[in-house]
Amino acid sequence: MNAAYLARRFASVLVVLVIVSITVFAITLILPGNAAVMILGEYATPEQLRVLELELGLDRPWHVQYLSWMGNLLGGDWGTSMRLSLPVAGLITEALWRSAALAAAALVIVTVIAIPLGIIAALKRGTWADLSISLFAYLGTAVPEFVTATLLLVFFAAPDRGWFPAGGFVPAAESIWLFLYHMCLPAATLSLILTAHIARQVRSEMSDVLGSDYVRAARLKGLPERTVVMRHGLRNAMAPAVAVISLDVGYLLGGIIVVEEVFAWPGLGRLIIYALQNRDLPVIQAATLVLATIYALSNLVSDLVIAALDPRVRYA
Amino acid sequence: MREILRHPTGLVGSFLLALVLLAALFGSWLAPYDPQLFHPQARLQGPSAAFWLGTDQFGRDILSRILHGARSTVSFGVGATLLGVAAGAVIGITAGVVGKWVDSLIMRLVDGLLAVPDLLFTLLIVTVIGGGSGHAMLAVAVAFTPGMARISRSAVLSVRTREFVQAATARGESRLYIMAAEVLPNSVGPLIVEATIRVSFAIMLGATLGFLGLGAQPPSTEWGLMISEARQFMFRNPWCVAAPGVAIAMAAMGFNLFGDALRDLIDPRGQR
Amino acid sequence: MTNATLNRRHVLAGLASATTLPGIVYAQTGTPRRGGTLKISHSTRLAQLNVLQLSGPSEYLAVDMIYSGLVRLSPTMVPTPELATEWTPNKDATSFVFKLRPGVTFHDGTAFTSADVVATFKAILDVATKSPARAVLDMVSDIVAVDQLTVRFDLKVPYADLPVSVAHANARIVSEAALKRPLTELDTKANGTGPFKIESFDSSRLLKLVRHTGYYRPGQPHLDAVEMYLFPDLAAEAANYLSGAMDVMLEVQQADFKRIASAPNSNALRIPSGRFVNVVMRMDQKPFDDVRVRTAMAHAIDRPTLVDLVLEGLGRPAKDNNISPGYRFLADTPDVSYDPARAKRLLAEAGYPQGIKIPLICSNRPAIRSQVGIAIKSMAMPAGFDIDVQTIPHDTYLANVWRKGNFYIGYWGMQATEDAAFTLLFTTNAAFADTAWNNKEFDALVEKARSSPDEAERRRLYAEAQLLMVRDRPSIIPFFQDVLTASRSVVKGWSAHPLSRTFYVENVWLERA
Repeated sequence: MNAAYLARRFASVLVVLVIVSITVFAITLILPGNAAVMILGEYATPEQLRVLELELGLDRPWHVQYLSWMGNLLGGDWGTSMRLSLPVAGLITEALWRSAALAAAALVIVTVIAIPLGIIAALKRGTWADLSISLFAYLGTAVPEFVTATLLLVFFAAPDRGWFPAGGFVPAAESIWLFLYHMCLPAATLSLILTAHIARQVRSEMSDVLGSDYVRAARLKGLPERTVVMRHGLRNAMAPAVAVISLDVGYLLGGIIVVEEVFAWPGLGRLIIYALQNRDLPVIQAATLVLATIYALSNLVSDLVIAALDPRVRYA
Repeated sequence: MREILRHPTGLVGSFLLALVLLAALFGSWLAPYDPQLFHPQARLQGPSAAFWLGTDQFGRDILSRILHGARSTVSFGVGATLLGVAAGAVIGITAGVVGKWVDSLIMRLVDGLLAVPDLLFTLLIVTVIGGGSGHAMLAVAVAFTPGMARISRSAVLSVRTREFVQAATARGESRLYIMAAEVLPNSVGPLIVEATIRVSFAIMLGATLGFLGLGAQPPSTEWGLMISEARQFMFRNPWCVAAPGVAIAMAAMGFNLFGDALRDLIDPRGQR
Repeated sequence: MTNATLNRRHVLAGLASATTLPGIVYAQTGTPRRGGTLKISHSTRLAQLNVLQLSGPSEYLAVDMIYSGLVRLSPTMVPTPELATEWTPNKDATSFVFKLRPGVTFHDGTAFTSADVVATFKAILDVATKSPARAVLDMVSDIVAVDQLTVRFDLKVPYADLPVSVAHANARIVSEAALKRPLTELDTKANGTGPFKIESFDSSRLLKLVRHTGYYRPGQPHLDAVEMYLFPDLAAEAANYLSGAMDVMLEVQQADFKRIASAPNSNALRIPSGRFVNVVMRMDQKPFDDVRVRTAMAHAIDRPTLVDLVLEGLGRPAKDNNISPGYRFLADTPDVSYDPARAKRLLAEAGYPQGIKIPLICSNRPAIRSQVGIAIKSMAMPAGFDIDVQTIPHDTYLANVWRKGNFYIGYWGMQATEDAAFTLLFTTNAAFADTAWNNKEFDALVEKARSSPDEAERRRLYAEAQLLMVRDRPSIIPFFQDVLTASRSVVKGWSAHPLSRTFYVENVWLERA
C-alpha cells in the first residue's frame, strides 16, 4: 500500500466531513424559529424570542455563520449547550467514552459469535443448523431495536427475576464490576441485531467462496478440508466480512441511539435524543459531526484493512 | 414468479408478503370492529372469542387495529422507498451516464451524506420539518436517496460498457435516449432488489420513529406507534406489544426474504 | 394519621377526599433514625438548577432540597414559616413586614440576612431574569430591608395573598453574593439554605446531595445524603424501583400504579390535586361562539369514564370549574352529566342539526393530551360531534396553535391560590388567556376578591366567579389528576404535595440506616 493511496483516501474522508458539516449546519439553520420557542417555552414573549434569536447570531448571513462555526469547532471551542449551560466539548467527550465502551463490547461479542455462526451456516448449508441460524438472522434484521430492547428488559430484568439491572449506569471509576453488570443487557441487545446482520453476510460470503473455483482447486489438490476452509476460504471471505462489519458500524450507530434511551445508558445516543427534543443546536451540530466522523473513519479503516487483505482491491 | 416460489426463502417471503399485502389492501373491510371504537368494559384483555387478539388500554380490538394499520405501515414503507429510489435513481443514473466531473461531484456529495447513519439522518430531518407520518416518510426517503444513488450509478456503470449502449452511441443517439431506452431498463434489476429489501428497513425506521414520538401520532394505527403506546401496559396485557411486534417482523421479513430471493434470481453471483 | 393510611390496601380501595389527607404523613410508629442515603428516580432530565428560572418537575424536587423560601405551602395549601418566622400586613394589605429567622447559614457558611431576600426578589421582579415567579409577584412595587432580620414588601395594590405568592417554588432565597455574579452560574452551582447541599451534578445521570450540617431545623435532615437518578425510559424506571435499586419513584404513571402499589415492600401514594387537562373552546370564532354549542360539548363527555380510561381511576371528575377541592374558596357548582341526546338537541338548536365536524389539536407533550383527545372523540360521536384528533409536536403547537386555535387540549398544574388560578387563564388580561372569554363581570369579581381583606366577602365573590365560569363555560375541565408517587417501605415520611412543588425531604428517614 503506497503513500499516494493513503493520501487519496484521507483526502476523500476530509471532503466527506466537510460536506457533512455543511449539511448538518444547513439543517440546523432551518431550526431557529421553532428552536427559540422550544428553548424559552410557554412563558416567552415575542421580544424575548427576538433577543434569543439575536443571541444565537441568526441575523448574520449564513456563510458567515458557517465559517465562524467551523472556525470555532476546529479551534476547540464547541460552544455551550443551550439547555444545560455546560461546554459542549465536555458533554460530548464524556458521552462518547460511555457509548464507545458499549459499542466495543457489542462488537467484541458479535465478532466472536457472528463470524463462527456464519461459517457454520455456510459449511452446513441446507441442514437444520443452517436453517435455524438463517431464521434467527432474518428475525434479527426484521425486529426493530426498541422491540428487542423492551423484550430483553422484560425478560431478564423483570422485578421478580432481577437477573440483570433494568438499565442505568455506574462509572467504571466507581466500580468496574457494576459498570460491566449494567452494560450487559444493552450490549446484548446491540449484539443480537448485529449478529443477525453479520452472520447472514458471512454465510453468504462463505458460501460464494466455498463454491468458487479457487476452493475447488484446493480441494482437488487433495488438501484437508480444514485447510481449505481456514486458509483459503476464510481468508477470501474475510475481506468482505470486514467490509460488512464496518457497514454495521452504521447500524450500530443507529441502534445505539434507541438502546441507550431504553436502558438509560448516558452515552452519545441519549445526548442526541435529548438535544433533538430540546432543540439544543450546538449539541446537535457537534454530536452529529462526531458520529459522522466516526462512521467515515471506520469506513476508511475497513477500506484499508480490505486493501491489505485483498491485493486486487488496491488499484481499483 | 414461479422460480421465486421454488426458492425456499422466496416461498416464505412471498407467503408473508401476501399476508401483509392482503391486510393492507383489504384490512379495513376484514376488520371485525372499528379500530377506534372503545369497549370500556373490556380493557386490556387477552385473546377471547369476541376479540381474537385481545384489547388495548381503551378497550379497542387489537386485531382490527393491526389490520387497519397494515395499510399505513406498508404504504409508509413502500412510499418512502419509492420516493428514495426515484430520487436516488435520477441522481445516480445522471451521474453514471454523464460521467466526468459531474459524476465526481455528485458522488462526493453522496458519500458525504452516506456518512450519516440512517436513523440519525432521519431524526435530524424530522426534528427540522416536524413529526407526523408524512414528514417521517419524507425524511426516510431523503435518508435512502444517497444509497440508492450509489447503487443506480454502479448499475449504470456496469451497463454502460455493454455492447448495445456502445452501439447506440455509435448510432449517434442522444444521451437522453440512451439513458431512457437502453440504460434504464437494464439497470432496473439491482434497483428493484435493493428497493424491496429497503422497504423492510423503511418499515422499521418508521416504527422506531413512532416509538420515539417523532413519526406517526395518535390515534394512528401504525404498528410502531401501537407498540410505543402499549409499552406501559406491557405487563398487564403483553398482547398489546406482542401482536404489533409480530406484525412488524412479518412485514419486514416478508420484504426482506422476497428481495433476497429476487436478488438470487436476477444475479446468482450476488452483487452486494 | 397513622402508618396504616399508607397501607396499600387503602390505596387500592380508593382514597378519601383531598381535604382530609394531606401530603405529609409521618410514620407515627418509631422515631426517626439518622443516616443513610435516599435514592430517588425520575424521568425528566435535570437541565439546570437555577431556582429562579427552572420549570421541570424533577428540578423542583432538587431545589426544594437545596434552597429555602421565606414561606412554604403546606399540603393543605396554608403558608407556613421557613426563612420567615412571621409576617404581618398593614391595615389594607398594601404592605407586609416579614420577620426573618436568625442564625441561618448558607451551605458555604455565610450568614443569611435581609440583604439576600432583597437581592433575590429584585432579581425575580427583573424582567430579564424570566422567572416564573414574577407572574404572582408583579403587584410588588418595592422590597426594603428594614434591618438585618426584617424585610418589608410594598405593593401597588392591596393583595391579601402575598404570603402565598412569596411561597412560590421559584421564589427561593439566593445569596446576594451569588446574584452579583452572572446568573448562568446558578444553572450548575448552588449555595442555598436548604437541608441538602450539592456534592456532584451530572445532569445526564445523577445529582448527589449531602446533608447541610448548618440547617436551621435542629436534628434535621435525618438523611446523610440524597441521590437523584435519571431514567428517561419509564419501563426501566419502574423496573429499577420494583427491584429495590431505587428507594423512591418521583412520579408514577397511571398505568403502573396498581402494580407498584401491590408490589411487596412498596407504598404507592395518591395525592388528590388540582392538576387538570382542559379542552379550550375559543369563544370569538365559530362554532364555539354559541354557548349552546359549548354546553353541548360539555354534555358530550362522560367524565367518570374518562377518569377510568385515561387516569386508571386515579383522579376525580370535574365540572368545568378549575377550582378543585383543596382550595379554600371552592364553591358548589352544578354537576355536568353525560347526555349525548341533550347535546344533540342543543346542537340542533344552535343551527347544527347534522352535528359538527371539527379538528382537535393535541400537543404530544405530555402524552395524556392525545389520550384525552382520543377518548373524547369516541364519547362525543353519539352526541353529533365528529372530532378529528390531530397530534402535533409540542413546539409547533406552541408556535401555531396555543392561544390561536379554536379547539385544542391544554394541560395545567395546580395553582397556589384561586386568584392565581383565575388570572392564569380566565381573566381578560390573564397571563395565558386563550379562550377570548373577556368577561368584564368576571374580571371585576376577581379584582375585588384579590384585594379584599375580609374572608367572608372573598368567599362570596369567588363563589360568584365560579358560577359565572360554569355558566359561560370558556373551556371544559373534565377531571383533576391525582399526583402519584411511590416509596419503598424502608422509607418513612416520603410524601407528595398537590402542587408537586414541595417535598419536605428533611422529614424523611430510612429504617435501614
